[in-house]
Amino acid sequence: MSKASAVELASTPRAGRATRLSFGAAVNAAQRQAMELDENVFVFGIGADGKAGIFGSTAGLKERFSARRVFDTPISEQSLTALAAGAANAGLRPVLVHQRFDFLLYSADQIANWIGPWRYISGGHATMPLTIRAIVGKGWGQGPQHSKSLHSWFAHLPGMQVVMPGSPADAKGLLLSSIFSNDPTLFIEGRSLYAMEEEVPDEPYFIRLGRALVRRPGKDVTLVAIGSLVPGGLEAAEQLAAERIEVEVVDLRTLVPLDLETVLASVGRTGRLVVADPGWRDFGAAAEVIASVCERVGPALKAAPQRVTWPHRYAPTSAPLEAGYYPTSADIVRACKSAVAGI
Amino acid sequence: MGQTQAADALALYRMMRLIRRTEEILIAEYHPANEMRCPMHFCVGQEAAPAALSLQLRPDDVIMSHYRSHGYYLAKGAPLDAMIAEFYGKATGSNGGLAGSMELAHHGFHFYSGAIVGGPLGLAVGSAFAQRYRRGGSGISVAVFGDGAMDEGVSYEALNLAALHRLPILFLCENNRYAAHTPAPARAASHDLIARAAAFGVAVRRMPDKNPLELAAAMNVIVADIREGRGPFLLEVETYRFCGHVGPESDDHLDYRPVAEVDAAKASDPLAAMLRLARAAGVADAALEEVDASCDEQVWSAIRAAKAAPFPRFQDLRGIEAANGYAPVVRELIDAAPTRFLGGQAETRLRPY
Ligand SMILES: Cc1ncc(C[n+]2csc(CCOP(=O)(O)OP(=O)(O)O)c2C)c(N)n1
Ligand SMILES: [Mg+2]
Repeated sequence: MSKASAVELASTPRAGRATRLSFGAAVNAAQRQAMELDENVFVFGIGADGKAGIFGSTAGLKERFSARRVFDTPISEQSLTALAAGAANAGLRPVLVHQRFDFLLYSADQIANWIGPWRYISGGHATMPLTIRAIVGKGWGQGPQHSKSLHSWFAHLPGMQVVMPGSPADAKGLLLSSIFSNDPTLFIEGRSLYAMEEEVPDEPYFIRLGRALVRRPGKDVTLVAIGSLVPGGLEAAEQLAAERIEVEVVDLRTLVPLDLETVLASVGRTGRLVVADPGWRDFGAAAEVIASVCERVGPALKAAPQRVTWPHRYAPTSAPLEAGYYPTSADIVRACKSAVAGI
Repeated sequence: MGQTQAADALALYRMMRLIRRTEEILIAEYHPANEMRCPMHFCVGQEAAPAALSLQLRPDDVIMSHYRSHGYYLAKGAPLDAMIAEFYGKATGSNGGLAGSMELAHHGFHFYSGAIVGGPLGLAVGSAFAQRYRRGGSGISVAVFGDGAMDEGVSYEALNLAALHRLPILFLCENNRYAAHTPAPARAASHDLIARAAAFGVAVRRMPDKNPLELAAAMNVIVADIREGRGPFLLEVETYRFCGHVGPESDDHLDYRPVAEVDAAKASDPLAAMLRLARAAGVADAALEEVDASCDEQVWSAIRAAKAAPFPRFQDLRGIEAANGYAPVVRELIDAAPTRFLGGQAETRLRPY
C-alpha cells in the first residue's frame, strides 16, 4: 500500500481535480482505485460482475480487473462472509457486497462470533481487514425484508467499524479508508442516496474513520445527521435559517468509531441536540448519541434532546403508509423547533 | 381414465391459464399507472408446477413459498381478489396492504411467502413438524423455492431435519437455471441438485415441465406417499422464466442469458403444450374458450375491485401493533385463582433477600 500512504488521512478531501459523480459512481471509483493501489483488494457478491453492476456500484470492475478479482457468487451469504474472514486473516482485503442489508443477516454469526472478536482474541496478532458493503433499500414497497437498516445491531459489537456516508465524496473517501483499515468494517449505503451527485476528487483520498464533519455551522441547535438523513438534515437547516433558527449540522459519517468530541463541541456551542437516524428508534444509534452526550454534559443542555427516526414498526408496502413511514426534512424541522422552544 | 384425464387436463389448463393471464395483465397494468407500488417477481413460463400442485392440495396443506409466488397462491386456492388488492397496497389485500408481492400471504389458506432466499425451506420443515406432531391429520407442507435457494446453507440443514424426522414435506424446487441474473455455472461446480438432497436421505425426482399432465400425475403419487408418512420428497422441476427476474420489464438487455435459449424456451411454452394436451384428452373447444374468457374477466374484475378499495391507515394498525395477549390457559388459570398471577406474588415483590 505504498502508493496510497502518500495521501494523508484527511477529514475532508484535498483540493485538486474533481469530477461530478453520483453516489454509486463514487463507490465504484473507490473500489476501482483501491484495486489499483493494492493487488490484495478483491470485490465479490451476488451480481458484482453483471452488466447492471449492483446499481452501477461495481459496473466495469470485472472488465478492468478480471474475474479473478471481481466475481459473482452463489446465494451463500454466511459462507461468503466466512470466505472474506479467512481471506482477510490471510492478508487479503475483501470487499463483500450485499444488494440489501437484509441479506447479510445470514452472516450475523460470522460477524458477531468470528470477525468482531478475531483480532482481540488473537492477542492483537491477527487482523481482519475486510469490508462488507450493505445497501439499504427504501421506497416502492421494499417492505420488511428489503428495507431494514440494522446499523445499530452491528455498532453494538466490539471490534466492528460501522460507516454510514451521507454524500458521494464522503462515500469515496470513507470506502477507501474502510478497505485499507486493518479492522473489519460494515459500510452502509442508503439506496436513496444513489442518485445524489457532487464534485468528487479524482485522486484516491482517505477520510479518517471516526471524524464527524460539521456540514453547516449554526448556533441554536446541533443536528447530528446520519447516512441517508444527511441531505434531509441540510434541507431542514436551510428551511429553518429562513425562520432565523441556525442549525449546526454534524454529519456523523461513522457510528463506530463514534466522534463524540465533534458532537460535544457542537452541543457546547448550541446547548441543544437533535439526532436524525435512518433506522428504528428503540435501542438505536440516536439513543446512543443522546445518552453519550447526556452522560457528559447533560445538565448543561437547554432542552431535552430529540430523535428523528423510523417509527418502531416494519416498513409497510402500501404506498400511503410507506410515504408516512420515513421521516422527512419536515420531521427534522419540527424536532429542531421543539428543541429550540425547549419542549 | 379418459374422463379423469380430460377433467385433470381442463383443471390444469384453467389454472395455468389463470396464472399466465394474471401475470400478463398485471405486467401490462404495472406501468404507467404505477398503482402497484411494490417489487413483483412474475412467473410467466413457470405455470406448470403450481398448476400441477394445485390438483394435489387440500385445505389443511401448507405452502411456504419464495417470492415468485403468485402461481402458488392461486394453486392453494386463495382468492385472486385479495392477491391483487395486496399488490395495490389496499386494506382488502390478503396481508392488509402491509406486504405487497414479496411477502404475499393468505393465512386462512395456509399460504405464506417471503423474499429471503432459503427461508421457506426451513419454515416448511417447522410446519411439517407441527402437522406430524399433532397426529391425526394428513396435511402436508410444501416448500417452494428456486434453484438459487440450493446455494444457501439453511436449505441443507432443512433437508437434513426433514429426513431425520421423516416429515410430511414436499420440497418443490423450480430450476429455471438462473438465480436472478446469475447462471448456474457461476454458482456451483456440480449441478445435480437432486443428488444433494438424496445424500440426506430425501427421496428425489427431476422432471421437465413441458408436459403438465405427466407432471401432475407424478406429483399425485409423490404427494400420496408423503401423506402416508413415507417421509420428505424433493421434486426438481426444470422450467424457464419468460419474463424478467423482477418487475414488468424484460431484463434480457443485461445479456445474462442467450437469446437463442430464451427463444427456444418460449417456443416450447408449457401453456401451449397444455392446450394441445387438453384437446387431445378430449376437452371440448367450447370449454377451453370459456376458460380463456373467464380468466381475463376474473383478473379484470379483481383489478377493478382493488382500485376501488380503500388504503389501510396507520390508526387502523394499532390493534395488530399492540401486544398479542397470552395463551387461553393463562386466562383459565387467572379466572380459577386470581392471586396466582395478579399481584400477591411474594416473589415478584422486591425485597432484600
Ligand atoms: C438471502 C438473500 N440473498 C439474496 C437475495 C437477492 N435475490 C433475490 S432473488 C435472487 C435469486 C434467487 O434465484 P432462485 O432461487 O433460483 O429463484 P428464481 O428467482 O429464479 O425464481 C436473489 C439472489 C435474497 N432475496 N435473499
Ligand atoms: Mg432460479
